[in-house]
Amino acid sequence: MGTRARASVSPQLFAHWFVDPSGSSVWSFLRVECAAGSEPAIPSRFSRFPKNIGRPIMALLCSSAKYLMPTQFTVNKTFGKDDLIMLRNLTRLLRKNICSVSKPSQVKKDSVGKPLSKKVKVNEAFIRRAFGNSSDLVVRELHVGPGGKFTVLLVYVDGLVDKTLISENLIERISDQADKSRTPEQAYDDLKNRIIAVSDVKETGDLDNFLNHVAGGYCGLLIDDVAKVLVADTRGWAQRSIEEPTTEATVRGGKEGFVETLRTNTSLLRRRVKHPRLRIEECEIGTISKTSVAIAYISGLADEKVVQEVRNRLARINVDSIQESGQIEELIEDAPFSPFPTILRTERPDKVAGALFEGRIAILTNGTPFALIVPATFTMFLTTPEDYFERTFIGSALRAIRYLSFFTSLTLPSLYVAVTTFHQEMLPTALILNVAAQREGVPFPAVVEALLMEALFEILREAGVRLPKIVGPAVNIIGGLVIGEAAMRAGLVSPIMVVVVATTGIASFATPVFSIAIGARLLRFIMVLLAGSLGFFGIVAGLFALGIHLTSLRSFGVPFMEPIAPAIVSEFKDLLARVPWWAMHTRPALVGHKDLVRQGWDQKPKPPVYLGKDAHR
Amino acid sequence: MEIEGGKISGSQLLALLVLTRLVPVTIEFPLVTGIKSPQDAWISSLVGTVLSILPVLLMVRLSLKYPGKTIIEYSQLLLGKFFGKIAGFVLVWYWLSIAATMLRSVGDAYTTAIMPETPILAFILVVGFLSANAARSGLEVVGRLGEVNMLVVILSVLLTLSLPYKVMNFENLLPVLSKGIRPIMLPTGTAISFFVEFIILGMVAPYLNNPQTLTKSSLGAIAISGFMMTAFTVVLIAVFGPTVSSLMLPAFSLARMISIGEFLERLEVIPMSAWTITVAITLAFFLWASAVATAQLLSLKRFQSLVYPLAAISVAFSILFFESFFDLELYFKKIWVPYSLTVTLGISIILYLASFIRGRSSASTKVTGLCHRNH
Repeated sequence: MGTRARASVSPQLFAHWFVDPSGSSVWSFLRVECAAGSEPAIPSRFSRFPKNIGRPIMALLCSSAKYLMPTQFTVNKTFGKDDLIMLRNLTRLLRKNICSVSKPSQVKKDSVGKPLSKKVKVNEAFIRRAFGNSSDLVVRELHVGPGGKFTVLLVYVDGLVDKTLISENLIERISDQADKSRTPEQAYDDLKNRIIAVSDVKETGDLDNFLNHVAGGYCGLLIDDVAKVLVADTRGWAQRSIEEPTTEATVRGGKEGFVETLRTNTSLLRRRVKHPRLRIEECEIGTISKTSVAIAYISGLADEKVVQEVRNRLARINVDSIQESGQIEELIEDAPFSPFPTILRTERPDKVAGALFEGRIAILTNGTPFALIVPATFTMFLTTPEDYFERTFIGSALRAIRYLSFFTSLTLPSLYVAVTTFHQEMLPTALILNVAAQREGVPFPAVVEALLMEALFEILREAGVRLPKIVGPAVNIIGGLVIGEAAMRAGLVSPIMVVVVATTGIASFATPVFSIAIGARLLRFIMVLLAGSLGFFGIVAGLFALGIHLTSLRSFGVPFMEPIAPAIVSEFKDLLARVPWWAMHTRPALVGHKDLVRQGWDQKPKPPVYLGKDAHR
Repeated sequence: MEIEGGKISGSQLLALLVLTRLVPVTIEFPLVTGIKSPQDAWISSLVGTVLSILPVLLMVRLSLKYPGKTIIEYSQLLLGKFFGKIAGFVLVWYWLSIAATMLRSVGDAYTTAIMPETPILAFILVVGFLSANAARSGLEVVGRLGEVNMLVVILSVLLTLSLPYKVMNFENLLPVLSKGIRPIMLPTGTAISFFVEFIILGMVAPYLNNPQTLTKSSLGAIAISGFMMTAFTVVLIAVFGPTVSSLMLPAFSLARMISIGEFLERLEVIPMSAWTITVAITLAFFLWASAVATAQLLSLKRFQSLVYPLAAISVAFSILFFESFFDLELYFKKIWVPYSLTVTLGISIILYLASFIRGRSSASTKVTGLCHRNH
């Protein structure tokens, strides 16, 4: 190799980086760095850009390398001098960006690897130092054994524990009954096996584990001269009671909604799926927040491969904190840059249970009432539990209305613009004369008018969402006046535009899941611009582009537009119309293929024959 | 690694093939045939449909004989590297020229019928770009789009065909064959020349979920599109009479005749929209085929990087080849029929003969050399 060996990064490695088929390695490294909050090193040639521009450029450069070299190749040719120089420069470039990958900031752990001391005082000092003398850390000293020889320490975090439980089942019983133990070891065993009246007691010898438990609401017990500790599940804190979900109210159906506590939420699921095959797997995400996240599915219905994929994607998350399931959603979804969500979120346990029965998988996050459902398909976003609980005809009709309103919220303003600007002949003569008369005083072309009013409406809506309830009506009245009356009088917009905007707004509220309504809301502006420039052709082009995007989406392996494209005829039973329950024989084919048949055949109810005869008598 | 990872179902293939046929049907069929006795145009489309079953079956058999191989691959097996590649490039050229005519017809349709002041390049560029995007997303996406659009198109075709019932006069169809068979022979050839575009299924066959559906889908596509074409011609003749052969954009003229009550009038924009999407999907299909074919001819691993250049080429063709709508019309009347028939029939017959000869020679020597070379 000789001089060639001076290229310090192996060519193969380079080739790999450069033709990495997804280009993801560089990108994910950069992302990790951003997540860590540290500034990634930017190579000098990009340093004259502001940092937030230089970073994407770098990422783009690296990820677009796949287009430079369309085929995978292995480097086995000998390198000339120019190659070596190029290689060296690239080495520097990449080393700065890739090799200096930092992990997300961890809390500095003094406790890692530190064994538990036998001396209770040492441990106490350590615990106090670990918590930094936080005011809510409670350390209670008790004396047990003959003559109070042995010291027992109770350690817990105030506010996370059930205090009655601690005083009655721990302190009271320990003081009453722990006198007979002769040795510290015996006292420890007595405590563990007999005295502590708490259902879940664990034993640990690791300080780190112990601290995590205490921080999570467990009560820790340390005994002098024993190098093991007990943690008792005394968790109990103030929590919101189970209420009707505010974002997904229904007329018919259960009124329970998820709350912020994971355990309550899993119990809400268990109550609906009373079968041991309901699996709830828990893991912790977030190096500091240590948020509990649970995967729920029904074994035998859910595809094990998809479950494994969910586990993998969750395991890949490497962040410091998870506050809400929205963060998890963004970290595991299939299409991060799509305007449409590919993961369904809901705060209704009945919706989650329904999804589980179809073979889907739910992800519950501690600290938020919103559960995630995967795989999600487009139709699920336009479905409410009510569709299944109301009678079949009305359920189907409501669903058809929802599809219509989704389409309306996406295209109505652009249709207005296209028709008034380019295709006036489509309207009946009387109406077009009317429209023309109304628009006579308006100084703007229709597209400006539409954009103006839509923007105004969005501002009003955004203002209305977060206002205190006392001020809310005032804003609504003023906004309504501004949009409805004053703008018209002032000659800014035509009355028909107000009708269009109002209809669009109402239609977008008719979409049951907010996250997909937002997608349509944003795309509406693009559609208006397209319609303003190319008329119907523009709208068609926009819809076609949307179609390309939507049909190429997948959610955990399932095509997003599933029963529509690819068309699956057996799924039409639950698409626009919902067939009666006695005809809903099978689960969705792509999700529930493990156990396709969900119920018995021939369950159509019919009146018994003898009743008819009785009626004649 | 497979060059195209996706698979499509038989019904998606059927949808794509029907859509492919629908574009010429709705935009230019009776016009471009240059038929002398317009009232017999429907006979020619019916006969053309039936006659085109034969060449399509030939193509299907070829594809079934070499499962897992595209027409590009097995033509190289059968004709040798050199001649096989020549055949492949001829096919790519053929598909690109179809793409160019389609782009041109979109542009012309819009500039003629709806937005005369917008430059034609605006429409061509938008459609070309969108189709290229669809083609880049792979066959799966194209197939799904085709499937969705199929429903819309069938609905809008049925509405367009049935709603102008007031102005239909079926006596226009008489007299049948008044001038004998001769005048309908060329139009029949035109009908066949559009059906042989089905040679594209040589590219799709390896990417079918279930290869057995190939025959069914292609025959179904012939049946459906043949029926549509015939029905279209019948209705057009019934509505417009002998003037039908001079109509520009007959389908839109038909849609213009729709008038229901006082308010459903002049709705030609709606079928026009459906038709535009149809063109875009078909274009994506042809672009996909030519990109995959080119990638295989040049032994590349990815076809995606070829889609934009090929789309650009077809956009350029659509501007360079035709000066106006009349050029397009002339092209279809004079050049298209012999060109299309020669390319597709020529290639498939040569390939079939070659496979026949090779099959016999390999059978006689009991060496399955072909199969070995395949794997």
